[in-house]
Amino acid sequence: MNLSLNEIEATAKRATRGAGYSWGQAEEAGKATRWLCAQGLDGVETLARLLALGFANDPASHRPQDLDELWHAEGDLCPLSVGPLLSDTAQFLDTGSIQMQRVAAPALLLPFASNAARIQKCALQIEFDDMKAVTDGTRLSSPGSFPEKAQGVTISKATTQSLPREQQTRAHPNSDDWAVLNQFAHRTYAPATEESRLLGAGSGLSDND
Amino acid sequence: MEAQTQTRIERRAPANVMRLSRLGSFHQCRLSFMRQLTRRMARENWSFSRPVFDIDDTGVGTAVYTAQGPDRAYSLVAFAHDLPPEKRSDRVIADAWDATFALFDGVPTKADIERLSQNVPLQEAGRVSESELSLSRANRSVRLWEHVVDALAAGQQPDLDQIYQVGYLMRTTAVYGSGKFGAADREKVAGRSETQAPFQVEMLSVYLTRTFVRDLVQHMAAVKGGDHTAKLDPDIARWLGIGNSTGLGMAPFIVNHPVLFNNWVMAREEALARVRSVETASPAEIDKFQELFQRSQLSISWWRSEHPIQVSKLAELNADLRAISSYLATNGLAEAYPWDALINWSETALSQEGQEYLASLILEPYGDLVDGLASCMADSRSEAFVIDGKMPIEQIRELIRDTHDWALHLDWAAPENCARAWYVSEEKLEPRMGERFEEPIEDYEQPLAPARDAAAAYSALSDWEDTKTVAEFLLRHPEHRHTIRRAQVARTAPYGEIRDNTISDKVLPIDMLRAKLSFFGATHFDPRSDRWVRICMYSGAPYPEELTSENADLWVYPQATV
Repeated sequence: MNLSLNEIEATAKRATRGAGYSWGQAEEAGKATRWLCAQGLDGVETLARLLALGFANDPASHRPQDLDELWHAEGDLCPLSVGPLLSDTAQFLDTGSIQMQRVAAPALLLPFASNAARIQKCALQIEFDDMKAVTDGTRLSSPGSFPEKAQGVTISKATTQSLPREQQTRAHPNSDDWAVLNQFAHRTYAPATEESRLLGAGSGLSDND
Repeated sequence: MEAQTQTRIERRAPANVMRLSRLGSFHQCRLSFMRQLTRRMARENWSFSRPVFDIDDTGVGTAVYTAQGPDRAYSLVAFAHDLPPEKRSDRVIADAWDATFALFDGVPTKADIERLSQNVPLQEAGRVSESELSLSRANRSVRLWEHVVDALAAGQQPDLDQIYQVGYLMRTTAVYGSGKFGAADREKVAGRSETQAPFQVEMLSVYLTRTFVRDLVQHMAAVKGGDHTAKLDPDIARWLGIGNSTGLGMAPFIVNHPVLFNNWVMAREEALARVRSVETASPAEIDKFQELFQRSQLSISWWRSEHPIQVSKLAELNADLRAISSYLATNGLAEAYPWDALINWSETALSQEGQEYLASLILEPYGDLVDGLASCMADSRSEAFVIDGKMPIEQIRELIRDTHDWALHLDWAAPENCARAWYVSEEKLEPRMGERFEEPIEDYEQPLAPARDAAAAYSALSDWEDTKTVAEFLLRHPEHRHTIRRAQVARTAPYGEIRDNTISDKVLPIDMLRAKLSFFGATHFDPRSDRWVRICMYSGAPYPEELTSENADLWVYPQATV
């Protein structure tokens, strides 16, 4: 598949909403998935796997209860909760690190770490168990793939930065993953009725004039 | 926004400007995207060619029109079809059209044209590539098309009155850009000087489409009339614009792009403030205004609509034109701050239709004060999307009050205040609006009622301590995340939020459509219902081979006689 990044963002947003997340989270999931694809990472696969976990059915079990030193929850943390939270609390990184325990689809933290890096005007490193990524807010240095789950994640100011990944203008997701996002997105579409077909959008007047 | 110009008069308040009835009365102005494009193409001496025109006697085939700028070329690849009348629909759910188009980035090869021929005629059901910048289609205005073909075939020129009444031979029913259906993302062209301003790709596509349609009608007349066929008089051809038929799809756009929409409105408001701050109008400036006031009245005399709302607005506008004439005859423009006095007078003397007409018209003599603002109309601040989580609750409450004060005490549960819901139909993903209490649509509602959502967030914030942070609130209440973002965006985008109820039983989506279309440079708004509008684009504009610096800008105001 060969898709524009705008297509990725629009479908990821709808899919996230279709999976039961709030509109605000869906907007950010769209931008996050796009950002991953722009770094040449498989954002579509990452989001498809996350949405299939169904965290939005029980959000309180997948987000931290408090902003204490180690963010954790009863279940695995959802990156669409702790990612935005990381961006919202970027100032914590001035004086220390942010640590999280058991994060699903941790690659989705990277775009939010890039927001935090831009807010704090510094490069940040994101350590997932034994893997590491660095972002200056725009570019990313990282391996090409990430685990489905990280036991521990630590975000802190970066001391070194290696060669960043090449930026991409198109995305090439796997068609099965793309189909998963489209199935979730489909939940946001109202079935057409005769009434809506006639009145919902149109003029009801002839166009053959 | 540029700061070099001293303004004595402030911009109009967002609470006044951003009401739906006023947005629904906006008129084109110097900053309109079509006029930005034609001014640039003339200034930069763009050249135009038609490397392919391969249309058969049934009107089916392919044509290519290339526009060559200083650094790059852009080509309209056009496919003409033989459409059965019963298939002619302007709706998104249509699946065949009289003509289909893509704007190619550069000059297409034969292989590119072959690839596009397999996809562009399918529109949403096909795929284009990163080499294409837009995808669009158009349908004939059957009556005018037949009249022009028949007249030319009979060796006659078409009747100008019929042209004035319809305004175009074809109307576009969608122009997709920005990465839709596989096309290149906006980012590909956002850094180019000729496409930095909004919608320049789409406006160029439509400009070239108009030329194709003129050539196609001449071709079809020649097929019918043979050697006796008349050549369409250029002075008549110039009055043929391109129509556009727009439904609800455009309305969500201005809600979903608050920074971009703010930049459009703020540029026009800043332009208005600058002109109102002019202390003395020179005789040349007054003459220019008077001339264009006269010329615009001719265009308004061709503005037709059968929709009762627009019929009454047009009656008001015509009365306003008479009132303006009397004002100018009595007061002149010789006093100090003449434009400010004129606008102040209009606020009580004219309808909103007339007020906004005048607000656009007084910008005309002042290209030097106004035109530079065109560079401020794109949205290049992606960082505005990122929420400031350390903001204290006290401040976010204040921001919500600043924008949505009017909405906080409205009874949002009352049926009349939430009668409508916006949704996306699974049929070709068409945006629609329905009756919340009569149709099974609420579960699919799109977030297009920012004021209602702001009232809900404000209420949820009521038992939070002032010193807690937005981050803490949003951790508990992710359902308010989009609303908090909008409230923070409004700090730097005060004209980004509609200050009205977009889901009330009285909402008129055509107001939102018109606001957007006016910035394109559209004229002759003709609502076909409360959620559907036809317009005219480029009527009066020079064709590519006629384009010069002298005619590139004021073509929207017709000269008195042909």
